Amino acid sequence: MISLRADRSDIAAGARAMVPWLAGIVPFGLVIGVSAAQADVPTLAGWLTGPLIYAGSAQLATIGMLGAGAAPVVVVASALIINIRLIFYSTTMARYWRGTPWWWRLAAAYLIVDPSVAVGLDGYQRLGRGRGHAHYLGGAVVLWVSWLAAIGAGAMVGARWPTWLHLEFVIPLYLVGQTISKLANPAQRQAILAAATVALLALSAPLQLGVAMAIAAGVAAGLAAEVRR
Amino acid sequence: MSTWIVVVAAGLGSYLFRLSMIILTSRITMPPYLERASGLVAPAAFAALAAAGVAAACSGRGLTGAAAPLAAVAAAVIAVLRTGSPQAAILVGMPALWVATALLPS
Repeated sequence: MISLRADRSDIAAGARAMVPWLAGIVPFGLVIGVSAAQADVPTLAGWLTGPLIYAGSAQLATIGMLGAGAAPVVVVASALIINIRLIFYSTTMARYWRGTPWWWRLAAAYLIVDPSVAVGLDGYQRLGRGRGHAHYLGGAVVLWVSWLAAIGAGAMVGARWPTWLHLEFVIPLYLVGQTISKLANPAQRQAILAAATVALLALSAPLQLGVAMAIAAGVAAGLAAEVRR
Repeated sequence: MSTWIVVVAAGLGSYLFRLSMIILTSRITMPPYLERASGLVAPAAFAALAAAGVAAACSGRGLTGAAAPLAAVAAAVIAVLRTGSPQAAILVGMPALWVATALLPS
């Protein structure tokens, strides 16, 4: 198991391996902080999506849908659908954590998210299980601290900047950028086109169900495109 | 009140997802189609939220009022396609929005 003194170099190596990821993650955290400040929800509740949900796209959806007045059950269901990938990350990490103490599994599982799994897997494959735990911990803690700090900074900026800057439009633009950059993959392209179309057609759907319906339509269209190939 | 409950419930559910296979992995095998579907959820969610967000920014502002956000989105799309960088959407789209808002009648 981890000995903080003995594994200091592996913890530091994991932290260093996370640094390149922060270039893409910190701006996303800032956007979520801005959305928390601009949306019609308490800013603290928006910030708390960081430590509680701890997955950017689900946090953005939660804040956006709460701000739009969606029904609570629809918001929770949408966030969980978006986070379903965490089950696969859980499967991936389980093989390395078998036989470890309960406290480690409970704590390490909390830190599971896309970048921590990527950095952690690299450490386990290069260093083996024992030193891999320290490598995972180093990267995951740096990510967690940076993520919450970025959301906090975004929330402060978003609350104080003048309204004529229309900072609330940063969020749709961020999403447009992420979406356009994924159009090259045929299955993802079909998912994107179907989801955007259904979202626009279902703008007046009750309980703000439009986004959830659009995600379902997008995934179905993407899967159908994969089957046709 | 329901805002706080939603955030806690979504957080608790997400944590259970993270913990699920670490507890159950020896008993359950995930079907492959579900794994493929999970890779499509994020692009679909981003596209849905982007479309809904842009529509919300345009709604109730009339044809000329909607022109500024639509011009900003068009500039953002062109910037991402030309540079290949998702960050270009904000770097180009926000200044485009400010210029279009100043120049176009609201």
